[in-house]
Amino acid sequence: MNEITRMVVVLSLITGCCSAALTMANSQLAARIDSQTDLYVRGPALERLFKVPAEEVLPNKVTITIDGTDIPVFFTRDGDDVSTLAIEAIGKGGYGGDLKLMFGIDLKKSQQIGMEVVSHSETPGLGARIEEPAFRKQWQGMSIEPPVAITGDGGQIDGISGATSTSRAAASGTNEVLMLLNTYKEEILKSISEL
Amino acid sequence: MRSTQKFGETLKAGLWKRIPPFRLVLGLCPSLAVTQSAENGFGMGVALALVVTLSSGIISSLRNIIPSKVRIASYIVIIATLVSIVEILMKAFFFPLSEQLGIYIPLIVVNCIVLGRAEGFAAKNPPLISMIDGLSVGVGYTISLTLIGSIREIFGKGEWFGMQVMGQSYEPMTFLVLAPGAFVTIGILLGIQNLFSRWRGEKFVQG
Repeated sequence: MNEITRMVVVLSLITGCCSAALTMANSQLAARIDSQTDLYVRGPALERLFKVPAEEVLPNKVTITIDGTDIPVFFTRDGDDVSTLAIEAIGKGGYGGDLKLMFGIDLKKSQQIGMEVVSHSETPGLGARIEEPAFRKQWQGMSIEPPVAITGDGGQIDGISGATSTSRAAASGTNEVLMLLNTYKEEILKSISEL
Repeated sequence: MRSTQKFGETLKAGLWKRIPPFRLVLGLCPSLAVTQSAENGFGMGVALALVVTLSSGIISSLRNIIPSKVRIASYIVIIATLVSIVEILMKAFFFPLSEQLGIYIPLIVVNCIVLGRAEGFAAKNPPLISMIDGLSVGVGYTISLTLIGSIREIFGKGEWFGMQVMGQSYEPMTFLVLAPGAFVTIGILLGIQNLFSRWRGEKFVQG
């Protein structure tokens, strides 16, 4: 066999075996990685929203697919009825990139329970104050009728001073979730009942 | 008898004669970056030990098949695969640790220790002894990183593996857990090892 062919064949074989090994590892462990991500990344936010240990809420998960993006929805039950939902949303336009937020919604009272930050990369001391309860508590008892906006844009949310884009991103995330809830509420409840 | 002696020597070499990152001055970047705590150092060391052992074994068994012109490319593909598998395993079983180590796990691919052992040892020796060499260098790296991490964590935070070891009145030297502290710690440890080697009249062996 001439040298060039040998090189091509050997390299292709090696890369082929490597991709096979990687695919296998990934497909075997993807489910476990997902559940670990839920526990460590979303768990703390869910715990604060629902005030129950994360292990109790995490199995109550459905994923709805809208326009090709998977949106995780967690829920709690009160008896047989679904009483609260927690929907994850992306707050677009934060100063350091998009924010990952989790919104709690009380279906019985038709109001929001609260807003939690799953992950963000905002400036410490400015945008990172989005994690402080003083800002987030404004979502407790907020109506589920969109749109919401920060006071600077004529809305009802007091933004964080010095971090307008972060506050706007939080508001836009809220709007996204409320729109989604208005449009897809039946679908979400249906997929929960199918569990 | 000769071969057992050779195995023993290879096994010992990684723990003192070419212990990374002090003797084999490679892989310094992660040693500086992830050793804020003993646990991080230990995790990083174990991940690297796993990769370097397996990659040495695989590369050494393929050493007569891989054409020498494409050997570096082949090594990198094999190492990258092993690192990705280790990363997936860490995410699945040690999620908090993998979050802590972050980008430094994927960066093991370009860690010079792994490629250095592949090119310098595994490419010329049979599989078993190459794996022993990889294991010994990996264990040496784990020991060094855990040591650096312990020193920085104990004096910088008053804790060891997350447990309080210094009394309440101890004022932590915060600078040790910051980046400059890593340089200082590694420098002091390297100095102590050199001093000790000189006192014993050892020849300096690099690589």
